Amino acid sequence: MTPMRAMVIDDSRAMRMILKRIVTKLNFEAVEAGDGKEALDLVTSMAEVPELALIDWNMPNMNGLEFVTHVRADPRLREMTLVMVTTESEQSQIVRALAAGAHEYVIKPFTEGAMIEKLALLGLVPTGANS
Amino acid sequence: MSVEVEVNENDLAEMVEQVWESYLDPEGVSPLIPTYDENQASEVHSSVSITGSWTGYVVYASSTPAARRAAGAFLAMEPDEVSEEDLSDVLGELANIIGGNVKAMLPPGALLSLPQVVLAPEATARYPNTQRISGVYGMWDGEPVSISMWQSRGDNKEGAE
Repeated sequence: MTPMRAMVIDDSRAMRMILKRIVTKLNFEAVEAGDGKEALDLVTSMAEVPELALIDWNMPNMNGLEFVTHVRADPRLREMTLVMVTTESEQSQIVRALAAGAHEYVIKPFTEGAMIEKLALLGLVPTGANS
Repeated sequence: MSVEVEVNENDLAEMVEQVWESYLDPEGVSPLIPTYDENQASEVHSSVSITGSWTGYVVYASSTPAARRAAGAFLAMEPDEVSEEDLSDVLGELANIIGGNVKAMLPPGALLSLPQVVLAPEATARYPNTQRISGVYGMWDGEPVSISMWQSRGDNKEGAE
């Protein structure tokens, strides 16, 4: 069975590493990008579109919200599940991200368990993968 | 425009606890022990600025060994394997996470900057025309760590009008 792919997009290498550790543990193949622009260039050049993108909001060059907007405007990328992983935790920001096309929202700091539960909610990992 | 700041030491302490639980001490064996000493020394620090409905800085400062340990915890490395680039990256992310959560407690209209990291002691000169309004100060495995909020004096003046 072909493993699912996850794109981890964050300007912090440390945060990318934490997210990669989690998705790799869940049997995703992980690719990473340091900002929205790099992620968009990467995803549009990939033969197989990743099933999941974990996206920081505040990044240089292109922020996470802009990335989500670009992805949602591209029919080829419509199957990607987009999860914002960010410190932007005000209700108004969450609403903006969801309105732009993000599927879910995880607020930093998050525990590994909380992230896995969110991915289970999205049907990307089996319920109980956290136990 | 200015606001009554509603982020106090307890709020900051709660955020710090979440950061420790999530990244720095997931096993819960090595918490930050409060010292309440706002003058404790630091060797490195990172900050984010907040502008808009509140103007000021959120600063994470620590000794170099504590910063190495934090980077090691984030990156799953031994502290002595951590590079200067790793230190900067992790210190920046810590300021970003705590600053973002502080921002969420402020009235709408606040903007968060990207983090700045300085591998040198925290000094008030780096935050001109500000005053410290809140902070959490502690020891992490015997090493100093602090998280503090610095409000722009201009913000205060406007608030007094």
